[in-house]
Amino acid sequence: MNQLPTKYPYLPTWCPGCGNFGIMNAIKMAILKSGIPREKFVVVYDIGCAGNMADFLDLYGFHGLHGRALPPAAGIKLANHDLKVIVVIGDGGCYGEGATHFINLMRGNHDITVLVHDNHRYSLTTGQMSPTTDQGTKTKSTPEGALEVPMKPLALAVSNHATFIAREFSGNIPQLSMRIGQAIAHEGFSLIDTLQICSVYNPTQDLKWYKEHTVGLEMIGHDPSDKAAAWARAMEEDKLPVGLFYQEKRPAYHQLVSELQSATLLNHDKSVVKMDELLNEYR
Amino acid sequence: MRIENSLNWKVGGAAGEGIMTTGLIFSKVVARHGWQVFDYTEYPSLITGGHNTYQVYAQTNFASSQAKILDVLVAMDKNTLGLHLDELSDQSIILYDSQDDKIKIDEYAGLKGKKVDLPMVSLAQQAGGTRLMANNVALGASIYLLGLDLGVLNGVISDIFGRKGEEVVKENQAAAKAGYDFVMNSVGSPLMTVAKNEGKNYLTMTGNEAVSLGAIAGGLQLYAAYPMTPSSSILHTLAAKASEADIVVKHAEDEIGVINMAIGASFAGVRAACGSSGGGFAYMTEALGLAGVAEVPLVVFESMRPGPALGMPTWTAQGDLQFILTASQDEFPRFVLTPGDATESFHMTRLAFELAEKYQTLVIVVLDKHLSESRYTMTLDVTEFKNERHGFAQAPALDSVGFYPRYEVTESGVHERSIPGQVGGNYIANSYEHDKYGFATEEGWVRVEQMDKRNKKFEMMKREILPPYIEDNGGEITLVGFGSTKGALQAGRELLDKEGIKVNILNVSWMWPFPIQAVTDFLNKGVPFAIVEGNSTGQFANVLRQETGLTTEYHFRKYDGRPFYPHEIFEFVKNTLQK
Repeated sequence: MNQLPTKYPYLPTWCPGCGNFGIMNAIKMAILKSGIPREKFVVVYDIGCAGNMADFLDLYGFHGLHGRALPPAAGIKLANHDLKVIVVIGDGGCYGEGATHFINLMRGNHDITVLVHDNHRYSLTTGQMSPTTDQGTKTKSTPEGALEVPMKPLALAVSNHATFIAREFSGNIPQLSMRIGQAIAHEGFSLIDTLQICSVYNPTQDLKWYKEHTVGLEMIGHDPSDKAAAWARAMEEDKLPVGLFYQEKRPAYHQLVSELQSATLLNHDKSVVKMDELLNEYR
Repeated sequence: MRIENSLNWKVGGAAGEGIMTTGLIFSKVVARHGWQVFDYTEYPSLITGGHNTYQVYAQTNFASSQAKILDVLVAMDKNTLGLHLDELSDQSIILYDSQDDKIKIDEYAGLKGKKVDLPMVSLAQQAGGTRLMANNVALGASIYLLGLDLGVLNGVISDIFGRKGEEVVKENQAAAKAGYDFVMNSVGSPLMTVAKNEGKNYLTMTGNEAVSLGAIAGGLQLYAAYPMTPSSSILHTLAAKASEADIVVKHAEDEIGVINMAIGASFAGVRAACGSSGGGFAYMTEALGLAGVAEVPLVVFESMRPGPALGMPTWTAQGDLQFILTASQDEFPRFVLTPGDATESFHMTRLAFELAEKYQTLVIVVLDKHLSESRYTMTLDVTEFKNERHGFAQAPALDSVGFYPRYEVTESGVHERSIPGQVGGNYIANSYEHDKYGFATEEGWVRVEQMDKRNKKFEMMKREILPPYIEDNGGEITLVGFGSTKGALQAGRELLDKEGIKVNILNVSWMWPFPIQAVTDFLNKGVPFAIVEGNSTGQFANVLRQETGLTTEYHFRKYDGRPFYPHEIFEFVKNTLQK
């Protein structure tokens, strides 16, 4: 029978126990709590298990190409800076395939919220290593163990001028949701590296592992305006600090574009374009 | 083979010596006499050193191409004397500076024409200027030799250097006067007199400038690009005009970022474009499919240069044609426009934004180095442009499942789109195959329905086709080309005409959907035709055969990085007709 599904959005197709459930619920709660009308949100999804959330949320969505979720997010914000733009992306897309966008849009302080679902694997493609996989880890693409040392995305973000940098755990939904709320409210590039369980392709780093290997930043005392301290915390390996590493107030990209001072680009009227003055140089 | 009432002037020198500005000033002087100009530049991919040339070919009423044999060659350095031997005739005049460049002119065997030793640097200094103003001495001398009005030169100098202050303007003008007087005394009467064509108020601009201005006229709001010769000056022009034109221009991190950013902006409701040359366009390929499947309006400029890979950055080619026609995964309908000169570039780019929005798809505007960077003469009848918006839902409504059916099948294949921020418009713009709400699907029938929906648009798109440029001169042969070849075909026709040989011209400036009817009608008249194109395997010939079944045994293919010259068209036709 040629029939469309009866229920939209779709029910999540993630594996039981997947960290994506927690992250999605945290996003939903944060949006609800923000009090901002739902139609003002756009979520740009990358490709991967995380990106499949496109089919599970009822918001304006843009499901882009692998690794390329950040540029359309920046484009959407430039086109209409009244919108709140959230990127849902995995560690592979953000730190691997699309790392150049990550590095360059963060230093431009484009006002987008980047939620990286960091499970240390390429899970949708059946569990190959990702940029955050620990050295020596055996995966399908690295049967003798990964040779690279893992990326430290938060340290990279601190040194490369992101203005809101946090790490959270997908299992702590209230705290993650609170952090997403802060990131949405932050005017500038916000990164939340969300540690996430993949019980199928990364069973070692399970709930117990994360409990043992993470520590709250507020527990150990940290000042999120201290950039040097944020960098030092971001370099820690034995116990991964969780919480807000760094936040600073700096004009967002669109706030510096002179043409966007009067109105959103969307509201620049082009129904009549007068060219006379522009042509003078060519006479 | 000289065309009457024409002039052909070239300045050569080292990169970084202001050769391009000098050429532009000369060009403006001629255009302000009411003559048509065509400027052609050559330069290597270097910042300083290397040999740069700027050539101005002009004619009383029509100029569409550079020509080979020069009336005046200005050598701003020693190198220039040795590099253009085959462009000189006994009637040519060569201006050089023996003092400053330590030139012994007798050592240049084979240098034809009248050599005029013009002490450019010392005259500039005597006139109170710096050695950089030697260029103005050369300009003043050129103006005298070609019978142009010194007052017009003074006006152009004042326009170009005005913002640097009155002092600078005066020094430059004094240097020009010194050069003018020097050759008046040493050479005697000028080569010719350029009579002013009163009432002709031409605009002159490069193809890239025409594309930029056409985009602004077409309501462009966001342009994203990453520099790559020869497309970079679109980025430079739009960036320079951003404030005045009230647009946003973004030099982004790479070509992949560029096109995805433009697609995002377009999804959010603004008119967006991006541009590159072959290599950068190759990077963009994956996202072309994204614009296609998500039905996001997008205009992409592709200025071709020789390849493969890096090829020859500052030279011209038409070798990306077949790649452009199909670049992407799988299939979706697209427009490909191949304007032939600055006028077509302006109007077709303006139209491109309307087409992209109307059909919610990709429009690629194709140029090449020759069109992008050569300066053409044009006029615009109107300077105020109206832009209608197409395909926006004014009051989108969620249907029973709670989403807006943005991709619902319609008769035309186009469905109104909502934009983020609108209440009742929720949908997903999806790179995956999707259903009418944009939700990903792997259902065969939904896939077929959506493919058919998108393909349906192509039938409507065909109704937009603009006819090719056709000259029916009752010719013995029809010359067929596309894009920038138009100018050389026109200039070649002019040379052939002088010999009593009539040729027709058909130049395709609307490549896709291919103008099957118009092309077939004209080429089926029983006149043999020859295809002139800038690649080695005959890509346009392939497209022509594929779309119309028409073939020919006459081909003129050039892939040395150089544009077609009128005299080459002339010789090709003569040789072909003798067969």
